[in-house]
Amino acid sequence: MKQHDKGNGSVSKPAKPASTEKVSPAKSQPEKPVQGGQENSDRRKTSKYFDKKKPEDEKVEALVKRKPGKGNEKPLDVETPPSKKLQKAEDDDGDDDFVLPKSNKGSAGATPNKKLKSGSGRGIAQKLKVEGSDEEKDDGDEDIETPRKPAGRGRGGRGGSAGPAGGRGRGGSGRGGFMNFGERKDPPHKGEKEVPEGDPDCLAGLTFVISGTLDSLEREEAEDLIKRLGGRVTGSVSKKTNYLLCDEDIGGRKSAKAKELGTAFLTEDGLFDMIHASKVAKAPVKNEVKKSSDKIVTQIPRESPQKVDIKKQVSNSSAKGAASKGSALSPSKRKDQSLTSSLTWTEKYRPKVPNDIVGNQSLVKQLHDWLAHWNEQFLHTGQKGKGKRQNDSSAKKAVLLSGTPGIGKTTSAKLVCQMLGFQAIEVNASDSRGKADAKILKGISGSTANSIKELVSNEALGANMDRSKHPKTVLIMDEVDGMSAGDRGGVADLIASIKISKIPIICICNDRYSQKLKSLVNYCLLLSYRKPTKQQIAKRLLHVANAEGLQVNEIALEELAERVNGDIRMAINQLQYMSLSMSIIKYDDIRQRLLGSAKDEDISPFTAVDKLFGFNGGKLRMGERIDLSMSDPDLVPLLIQENYINYRPSLAAKDDKRMSLLARAAESIGDGDIFNVQIRRYRQWQLSQSSSLSSSIIPAALLHGQRETLEQGERNFNRFGGWLGKNSTMGKNFRLLENLHVHLLASRESNLGRETLRVDSLTLLLKRLTNPLRLLPKDEAVQQVVELMDIYSISQEDFDTIVELSKFQGKPDPLDGIQPAVKAALTKAYKQGSSSRAVRSADLITLPGNKKAPKKRIAAILEPVDGGLEVENGNASADIEDDEENSSDTEDTEDAANGGETLRLDLQTDSSKGIQVEIEPKSSGNSSAKKLSAGRGRGGSSAAEKKGGGRGSGAAAAKRKR
Amino acid sequence: MLWVDKYRPKTLDKVMVHEDVAQNLKKLVTEQDCPHLLFYGPSGSGKKTLIMALLRQMFGAAADKVKVENKTWKVDAGSRTIDLELTTLSSTHHVEMNPSDAGFQDRYIVQEIIKEMAKNRPIDTKGKKGFKVLVLNEVDKLSREAQHSLRRTMEKYSASCRLILCCNSSSKVTEAIRSRCLNVRINAPTEEQIVKVLEFIGKKEGLQLPPGFAARVAEKSNRSLRRAILSFETCRVQQYPFTSNQAIPPMDWEEYVSVIASDIMKEQSPKRLFQVRGKLYELLINCIPPEMILKRLLAELLKKLDAELKHEVCHWAAYYEHRMRLGQKAIFHLEAFVAKFMSIYKEFLIATFG
Repeated sequence: MKQHDKGNGSVSKPAKPASTEKVSPAKSQPEKPVQGGQENSDRRKTSKYFDKKKPEDEKVEALVKRKPGKGNEKPLDVETPPSKKLQKAEDDDGDDDFVLPKSNKGSAGATPNKKLKSGSGRGIAQKLKVEGSDEEKDDGDEDIETPRKPAGRGRGGRGGSAGPAGGRGRGGSGRGGFMNFGERKDPPHKGEKEVPEGDPDCLAGLTFVISGTLDSLEREEAEDLIKRLGGRVTGSVSKKTNYLLCDEDIGGRKSAKAKELGTAFLTEDGLFDMIHASKVAKAPVKNEVKKSSDKIVTQIPRESPQKVDIKKQVSNSSAKGAASKGSALSPSKRKDQSLTSSLTWTEKYRPKVPNDIVGNQSLVKQLHDWLAHWNEQFLHTGQKGKGKRQNDSSAKKAVLLSGTPGIGKTTSAKLVCQMLGFQAIEVNASDSRGKADAKILKGISGSTANSIKELVSNEALGANMDRSKHPKTVLIMDEVDGMSAGDRGGVADLIASIKISKIPIICICNDRYSQKLKSLVNYCLLLSYRKPTKQQIAKRLLHVANAEGLQVNEIALEELAERVNGDIRMAINQLQYMSLSMSIIKYDDIRQRLLGSAKDEDISPFTAVDKLFGFNGGKLRMGERIDLSMSDPDLVPLLIQENYINYRPSLAAKDDKRMSLLARAAESIGDGDIFNVQIRRYRQWQLSQSSSLSSSIIPAALLHGQRETLEQGERNFNRFGGWLGKNSTMGKNFRLLENLHVHLLASRESNLGRETLRVDSLTLLLKRLTNPLRLLPKDEAVQQVVELMDIYSISQEDFDTIVELSKFQGKPDPLDGIQPAVKAALTKAYKQGSSSRAVRSADLITLPGNKKAPKKRIAAILEPVDGGLEVENGNASADIEDDEENSSDTEDTEDAANGGETLRLDLQTDSSKGIQVEIEPKSSGNSSAKKLSAGRGRGGSSAAEKKGGGRGSGAAAAKRKR
Repeated sequence: MLWVDKYRPKTLDKVMVHEDVAQNLKKLVTEQDCPHLLFYGPSGSGKKTLIMALLRQMFGAAADKVKVENKTWKVDAGSRTIDLELTTLSSTHHVEMNPSDAGFQDRYIVQEIIKEMAKNRPIDTKGKKGFKVLVLNEVDKLSREAQHSLRRTMEKYSASCRLILCCNSSSKVTEAIRSRCLNVRINAPTEEQIVKVLEFIGKKEGLQLPPGFAARVAEKSNRSLRRAILSFETCRVQQYPFTSNQAIPPMDWEEYVSVIASDIMKEQSPKRLFQVRGKLYELLINCIPPEMILKRLLAELLKKLDAELKHEVCHWAAYYEHRMRLGQKAIFHLEAFVAKFMSIYKEFLIATFG
């Protein structure tokens, strides 16, 4: 796209400082010609190519005619006439030589080089002297570019202001420093450079390490490019590393190590040039470069026959060694493989000897040893007494192999058995219709456990007889974690079998930590299989591919191994599938084929949100966005909601626009919430896509951009969604409020709703409870407050609740100004009062989520009730009359004592009464008349109770609750 | 004891504010029978007080003998059983509860309780078959499903059980339920009535009321009698003897909301939005219902807003309140409202002042 601008670039006026100009030539044209004279013609050609496709296409065609093998593949690359290319190639070579030593000098030295590189490395001084016309054009580039890419422009500007000599290098190093404690920045010139396409094997045999941010490529893109061209990318620098690919030296560990080892540094442009070089070299001057390319090409064929030979030997030997049914693969069969393809490759290339197993060799050895010594250990028929004591402590009668699918657990178990001459009986525990032996088949009709039992005891008989003649048997229980799906107690049964077993048992499972296997684990020797490394898998795959006559290079196979996540079986299956359609498999094919299954599993919600909000969040495809937001459909929206304010959207440069975007995003998040209710409450799961769209994707699409901090000292990372924490605090507070509410209700003084309590009354309650403590002398205040608390059955926890709910951030604590001594006195007074206080009804109410046992005293009171409940119903009326008397008596006395102010509830401790806690109607004025009516009312109610047992059942219910 | 409770009228005869309603209710229940009732009106207008007085009128003092219980209901909901816990306030004649506390499982509560009521049917003193009363609070918060199931059971068990429903807004109660009840609208008391009550309390407490003081309290109370009495007492706690220009302390949370409102008016930026979110969380954590926050916030904003924007802002407030009810996470919608307001207001400021 740069080149495109170039054509009309010279029209616009130069306005920028010189430093920025230097940036653009470097990045825009990796292969800028050196000679001024040729420059223009060259330009025109490139621009022509980009402006109008037609003529260039013709040229391409012409080129194709000239070298059919090449032009076909990459028409786009043919940018300059061949003659030019030759020269360029030489330039580039020189360039590389120049760069490598220099960059070793360190960051200061390395940075200018990058930018000069394309200018054939003449040095800074020369660069500054670039002709005016050149500058003009470059300016044009910048100016035209800006409206389309505000982001890129901003950076350019910043780089420019850093000073005339610094150029991009300086700006870059500044960023580098910043980058150290942030996440990796996007490449500064992302997507602005054209990625060259070179010879498919031009990087073969080279190992790269990528460090820091590259100039225009994302890390993944660069990795991809290298791999596609046959190179290898590793994570850390080692002796084998050929190049350290980095554009700005940020002094990290990798570069330090590289310097130590003398590894060559390579910039991105350098990499491009290497690729170009290979490409160019091929076309016009074939004979020159042919050797090298030939070398690469021939390398593989030469290699493969060797391997095939090895393979043959191996299979031969294994065929000999294996005593089992005729091995499907013999070397001769490879030729007519099309005929034998009825056998899947996974079966065909199943390892035949334990050494064939990929990875986990030590575990296989362990298994082998265990099995080999099993008989001596547990069937101490031969040498009595000796074997038992020896290794009882560590020895287990069974072994449990665990690991992800497809890494060779079953295979290794079988092979080991085979090697030691055991007869393996495989019970496929999840479904027993499997390929079992005849011996098992008898028992199969019953449950699996039956057959196992039978097998185990049968063997016991056999063991008593002549063991040497009898074939030794091993029981392989496959997929034990899927076992108890059908019948309950399967695992327990298995354990029982293990205990009595006279034959070794090998259990195999995928998830060792499964809840079902928790008990089994104790009886087994645990062997956890690890995933083989990708190199190990690739080696094995290459073996298979060669045997099948497939042409694959190792890099491609490593990629395949990585994509299948350690599952060899799946890798082989994929390979077989691909072999149906092609005989040469390249890196790209594998990449394309497994794109869907790639890297799905380990996206954390944070990464997902980072990606959605990231700078290029706008460029993601819809499917990708949905995948990201669905990676955790509960957490991602919360993270988005928490952080969306922090993003400076690239859609709106000005702040006012940003506000309206925020409003739109916020509304969309609200939509998501509404969707969520529909999904959760009414199970409308078909809405889940809409939900993720509105809760995650739309806000992210509106606001993606650079993150900024809103508070001092905040780290510039996405926060965890605050809603969860706040919601749980809210829930807790609601529960506390409910406690208070119930206590108030139980006091019978108030019948507020919970909400009105909080909204209207809490302020006053707080004032009534705290003001006296502040203003009045200590004793009087304490007395007043305790009195109020007693009236409303406010406990001390409730007091705290009231205070807690009245706290607001940024406002003074409601307890400010109260002397600690007064607080202590209040606590003391309250405690004192509670010992003499009658049990309040409030104490007897169990609250939801408040499961603590009732206080001891209350428990003691409640004790005798159990027996007396039936009695109550029998002589209810009389008792009630009595009780009424009692209660009114108490009330009278209390009224006298407290001036009718204090509420007393009479807990009827009479054992015949049950746990009725009743409150007498409040009678402050004419108590006698009231009491009369109360008595009458009660009479009625007691009658009703006798009939329906209403009260009794209520009490019983209450008791049950406790 | 707080004055609100102390001076709550205990019988229908003593009611000071809605005398006419009280008298009608009295006539209605002298026969010991009554239809289902639906009380609705703004908070602080005396619905609960009337209901309690009504119950006393029906059952005598027995209605006062209540116990608080936290019951667990085992509900068989098709494939599984659900355990529901709910606090009830019950006497032998009535049960009072707040079924919306059970969240979206409220309909099971409604069905179960009514069934249980129908089972234990009391007999009154004269040997006639009596009925029980079920008082359901906050009916407007019941989910639609609960209201539908309520409708059916209301008819089915009407022989043994009367419902008294209580809510703020009858518009959120379905038509079907409203038509099955005698609707009793309880208006908010006028300011004169409030003043009258306050003066009555003042006299009983033996307080010196400066002229116009009661009127100011009444004015501040937003025509809620409860709030008027509460803030009256707050004033008393704060400072006595009263002075005529004594400040009437606002509710703590209202004060906080007004802080938020002025924050919003002062600056419209993402940073401020973020701070406002923190403060809104603070309110929610302190158990302030989000609807009230939104309403109050709107009122505070309207006070300071230019006339031409008022319309639009009200519209958006209503819009987001509706969505808040549809949704679950109130903060999202509150924040959306604030963001929307900021966006509108900022545009307006730029358009006006450049």
